[in-house]
Amino acid sequence: MLLELQMQFRRAMLGGDTTEIVSKIREDELAPEARLQIYRNHVFATLGAALEGTFPTVCRLVDARFFGYAAHEYLRERPPHSRCLIEYGAEFADFLAGFEPCKDLPYLADVARFEWALKTAATVRERAPLAIEALAEISSERAPHLSLCLQPSASYLASPWPIDAIWQANQLADVPTVDLATAGTCIEVRRSGEGSGWQRLALDAFAFRRALAEGVNLATAAATATAVDPAFDLAAELDGIFSDRLAIGLG
Amino acid sequence: MVQNAVVTDDPSFPCCRAGIGLRLPHLAEIAATRPPLGFIEVHAENYMAETSALDLLLELRRDYPLSVHAVALSLGSAEELDQHHLCRLKKLVDRLEPTLVSEHLAWCAIGGTYLNDLLPLPYTEESLDLFCRHVDEVQALLKRQLLIENPASYLRFTHSTLPEAEFLAETANRTGCGILCDVNNIYVSARNLRFDPIAYLDALPAQAIGEIHLAGHHAAEDVDLLIDDHGSRVAQPVWELYAAALRRRNLLPTLIEWDTNLPALDVLLDEARHAQALADTRGYTDAA
Repeated sequence: MLLELQMQFRRAMLGGDTTEIVSKIREDELAPEARLQIYRNHVFATLGAALEGTFPTVCRLVDARFFGYAAHEYLRERPPHSRCLIEYGAEFADFLAGFEPCKDLPYLADVARFEWALKTAATVRERAPLAIEALAEISSERAPHLSLCLQPSASYLASPWPIDAIWQANQLADVPTVDLATAGTCIEVRRSGEGSGWQRLALDAFAFRRALAEGVNLATAAATATAVDPAFDLAAELDGIFSDRLAIGLG
Repeated sequence: MVQNAVVTDDPSFPCCRAGIGLRLPHLAEIAATRPPLGFIEVHAENYMAETSALDLLLELRRDYPLSVHAVALSLGSAEELDQHHLCRLKKLVDRLEPTLVSEHLAWCAIGGTYLNDLLPLPYTEESLDLFCRHVDEVQALLKRQLLIENPASYLRFTHSTLPEAEFLAETANRTGCGILCDVNNIYVSARNLRFDPIAYLDALPAQAIGEIHLAGHHAAEDVDLLIDDHGSRVAQPVWELYAAALRRRNLLPTLIEWDTNLPALDVLLDEARHAQALADTRGYTDAA
């Protein structure tokens, strides 16, 4: 009985279908629909505000009114599962990619992915880095089969658009023009201080680090990077990973 | 069932000093200025990730008694509690060691969907059994007493058989939980559902009340309802109801909540000082 009531209430909140629930609500001098609407307003207003807090740059790119509309549609289609609002919005970029009214802004979904990566990196603590000396103890036979565990906050994004430049420009009061015709970007995002930060990577370094983050061994990651750029320098890139304090363990 | 049902009888808790709900935009200022406050209260769900905000809170924890106010356990859901969320709450509570831990007489999730609102329950024997079972489960896991807050309500169900205050009193009786008496919610619900707020206050078991909440509300524009938005100063009739509550049970930690249109920290501190002044005289001064 209670379960059925709560499922009906959910349908009234998300889909606006109040036919089943209204007969169970006392009027108390006011239409049950008007009473339900207060809850519905709150659900959409607070979840919409949470999305706007996570994707302020996307909001600025499309303006607050349009963002509110997109957020409303997203909420109806993909309401949150997690009880922590900071974790709501993981699928918002995918939703925007397929959202017909956004089709004239082809970079929007990737900017949302970048913003999501920045947000989530700020919620993961950096772990103690591994010193490069740890590699010296590894035999040359074993080395190719090793995998390197990277900082848990690190994520890797590739886009045909200069998404970091678009994001950066929109942090300023007067947004400068961003040349969308410039080359795409390969970006590493990770925790930095009290928040998060990012850096652009060369294609081969990006391929190598992303492969390591996916858990493959050094030989396979190096082969992936060499396929991208035959001049890939494994020793130099390993140096870079350790000087960036990115490696935290051997697998 | 937990023993020691009234946590605020613990003399180590500065129960006659008012506190404020600490929101993220005020966190850095509080950390830098350390204003005199009886305690601070945070929403549990805002500190479950490893953010810099958690680091600051852990630091503040050394200087202020802390209350952890959970909003998403969904104790009234007609399904099992979300064990993942419950474990996250336990981890946070173990880490922060707060003086008080509270939740709501409400539900907010069903069938894997989280609706982020404190939704109303029908007050029936079925709901009471379920709600008490969930409170028992949380108290057993946390190994401590939970305070349960009365919600702001905009509707009631035709098949409810128990008044809300009686439902709360029976929950406290069966589980040993305490009651977080939100005076603004009583006022808002009483106006919205057309009942007498003083009668509600009288129906609560005074000894089970472990904390009081105060906040602002506003009148809806197009319909005769009050909205509990925590977006303004405490309204005069709510101060008067608070004074009435103090005359029934004094020496309670009282919290000023503010969530929307968050003002400067000084405004919250000013509201807390006013609550304190009323508490100091057990509500017998002019509540204005």
